[in-house]
Amino acid sequence: MRPEHREGARDDAARRVAERHIAEAAELGEDYLEALLNDTLYHEQRRLERENPSDPKTRAELAFYANLRRELHRLHGFDLENALGRVTRRFADEIVGNFDERVYQLTTTVLPPALSVLLSAASPRQLLAGSVRQRLSEHIQIQGSIDHAKKLLDHGTLIVVPTHSSHLDSIVLGYAIFLMGMPPLLYGAGLNLFTNPLTSFFMHNLGAYRVDRKKSASLYKDVLKEYAVRSLELGYSNLFFPGGTRSRSGGLEQKLKKGLLGTGISAYVNNLKTGRAKPNLYVVPCTISYKLVLEAETLIDDYLKEVGKSRYIIEDDEFSKPRRVLKFLSNVISLDSRIVITFSAPLDIVGNRVDSEGRSIDARGRIVDPLSYVARDGQPVHDEQRDNQYTTELSDAIVSAFRRDNVVMSTHVVGHASMALLKLKNPELDLYRLLRTGGSLPSLEISELAEQVERVTTALRELKNGPRLGRELEQRDPRLIIDDALRYFGTYHTQPAAIRRGSRIVHQDRNLLLYYGNRLSPYELGRRLGSAYVQAA
Amino acid sequence: MNDETVGVIGAGSWGTTLAKVLGENGRRTLLWTRRPELTREINETRKNEVYLPGVELPPNVEATHDLAKVSAGAQLLLLVVPSHGLRQIAFELGDHVSGEHVVVHATKGIEQESFKRMSEVLREETCVRKIGVLSGPNLARELALGQPTGTLIASRYDEVFRRCHAALHNGYFRVYWGEDVIGAEVGGAFKNIVSLASGIATGLGFGDNTRALLVTRGISEMARLGTSMGANIMTFAGMAGIGDVVATCFSSLSRNHQLGLRLARGETLASIQADMTMVAEGVKTSKAVYNYALRKGIDLPIVRAVYRVLYEDQSVGDAIRELMATPTGAEFLVSLPS
Repeated sequence: MRPEHREGARDDAARRVAERHIAEAAELGEDYLEALLNDTLYHEQRRLERENPSDPKTRAELAFYANLRRELHRLHGFDLENALGRVTRRFADEIVGNFDERVYQLTTTVLPPALSVLLSAASPRQLLAGSVRQRLSEHIQIQGSIDHAKKLLDHGTLIVVPTHSSHLDSIVLGYAIFLMGMPPLLYGAGLNLFTNPLTSFFMHNLGAYRVDRKKSASLYKDVLKEYAVRSLELGYSNLFFPGGTRSRSGGLEQKLKKGLLGTGISAYVNNLKTGRAKPNLYVVPCTISYKLVLEAETLIDDYLKEVGKSRYIIEDDEFSKPRRVLKFLSNVISLDSRIVITFSAPLDIVGNRVDSEGRSIDARGRIVDPLSYVARDGQPVHDEQRDNQYTTELSDAIVSAFRRDNVVMSTHVVGHASMALLKLKNPELDLYRLLRTGGSLPSLEISELAEQVERVTTALRELKNGPRLGRELEQRDPRLIIDDALRYFGTYHTQPAAIRRGSRIVHQDRNLLLYYGNRLSPYELGRRLGSAYVQAA
Repeated sequence: MNDETVGVIGAGSWGTTLAKVLGENGRRTLLWTRRPELTREINETRKNEVYLPGVELPPNVEATHDLAKVSAGAQLLLLVVPSHGLRQIAFELGDHVSGEHVVVHATKGIEQESFKRMSEVLREETCVRKIGVLSGPNLARELALGQPTGTLIASRYDEVFRRCHAALHNGYFRVYWGEDVIGAEVGGAFKNIVSLASGIATGLGFGDNTRALLVTRGISEMARLGTSMGANIMTFAGMAGIGDVVATCFSSLSRNHQLGLRLARGETLASIQADMTMVAEGVKTSKAVYNYALRKGIDLPIVRAVYRVLYEDQSVGDAIRELMATPTGAEFLVSLPS
């Protein structure tokens, strides 16, 4: 965000949130404000207890909240409202990023080579060769509604919503956006991306603002959302990961977080109310598909530890270990592993398709005026309950786009087929025992696995609404697909998911097989293929 | 908003009845009819003799056969057409509505081939998002005579309920609210099958025990099907579940009940349908549900029995015998929410 916008957006976000709560208090009474501040105090003090007390930033925060606690019960009326304003302002200050258009110009030309160096783990001298940048762009394949999305920039503001498997997603996508010739996307990045040596440079200088996911106070989330709303109103296209966090299981996101998604509709209504030119908001789903995922081992481990109660924040994964990242990235380059980014057909704020002129289109191809969804007697109005439901409908449309435009790769198919075969061979074992022991045999006959792979690819090809199949799946010989997957499985992870020994495939890390196979879970292969095939997810 | 004009699309007995209620509540009401003759009849005589004989409509109900006029004049639309015609009408309506419209359907059926619920069809054929369903123990004739009853408006949008409640609720018609659209739709469609079965039992001369058995087990099948489709099981204990089943299974006014009765007396489906002016939804719904349950592996014995009588020429006696021969087990197979 440009500096003049950034400060304004920060102030607006803090002020709007405070005003909204003050209006609420006018109806519910002053106790409401006191309770809200107490709740914030509680969450913030609990968070700070776990921080390093000698850190000057922590010390300052502790002092701020200790002070608030002392005076809170004495505050009334204007003073109480003032205190609320101070807290929201504090949150807004923390959130605001450092984006500078000039820095962006610089980074997009200088940094891709730098990123390439990181990616290829090459010596810095290669940076000067100039060929590196080209090499990197060769490894990111961008497809789908690219021109459509670009064209919509003439008609409104975009919200790009990708699938999320890795901390590399935002960097890879940011670079893709640059390659596409689009202006940068504003996005909220976790604090760890700011502290990680590999990404801090990007985060500080590209369009990122800070999201501290340890802050659980609802007031903080309000300010965060309002900042996104305000930036959208100012015409800055945003990037949100609608799954909220990296997929732990390896599966495609099937349930999305509504909080940030809902900012589109708020911004749209505000735009209409203020009579802004080009008030429309467009949502562009996008899938990011990797053959290998940097953090796969940690993520699936976390998923299995306690299904449904995954740690929300993981700080000690592969991403925090530069050598792992370099190993991963050099594999990407040397194996010619493309990272495939697929842009889906853009949507309006209630999930309708949008044409290249930015007009909403209903399921029967009629043009719809999006204003009609938020209008009452022709005038735009906010309605929280209604807008939450619209966001649910939008979320359904995004989930189907993910399902349709997911790019399935050899590692996913072989992971899924191997797990299915293992289950078929060991019907008496539950999933956890199977993962731990591997069942009766340490290996699978390659011909049997090939049969399963054949079944999976045939079933996927027959599906009407996606997925897309990766290049290596275009070939029909299942053995070549297995070879391709094994080549990848054998290179990056601590221990290969599976290796070939003669005519057999030895399954070594079944957690990884499960993880990669889970990418196919939306397609219900178990149900489709019947008893000869067991749902691996 | 408290005096908004309401459009009623479909002037069968139920649509005409709802128009009457709206009119009596002081709402200007536009009642859409497919046939211009019926439009003229209603506007000239204030009556709809074929579908609601002997009932007079209030003066603020205006019939029209122009869909564009209805959707331009009213943003709250009640869609009251048979399930097999809903897609076509929704498609036509789609040319005239915007995102500002609220569409609530009162159709108790499910699309034959696709097994889609009516709200899903509406979603596919129009741009409307604010969709709801009206369902409950609502025998048209009784309500038209002003006898007390209630109904359920189910919608994910609060606004849909608020506007329907403001327009419809009165001293003899109680309007309740729910969020479970799937449950309300499944309940409304499924009760027609139970009603048909209950009609058969009555026709065979069985008494209240038998009917109570059919009704209770019928609701159990309804809940089994509904929860498998994502409904909240509690919906089936409400207006659109038990409420509707009880009304139709113990009433001689119900078309489905009538049809069952005549089947039991030896008439064939074809001959009964030939002289029924109105659609007995249960005939089509039982086929759709039967096929769906087969595909999904859901066990629904009463549906199976009704299906065999209607479509496989099984005698009603054999059907009842087969039904009574199915094994029993725990009464509740679906677990209640804790």
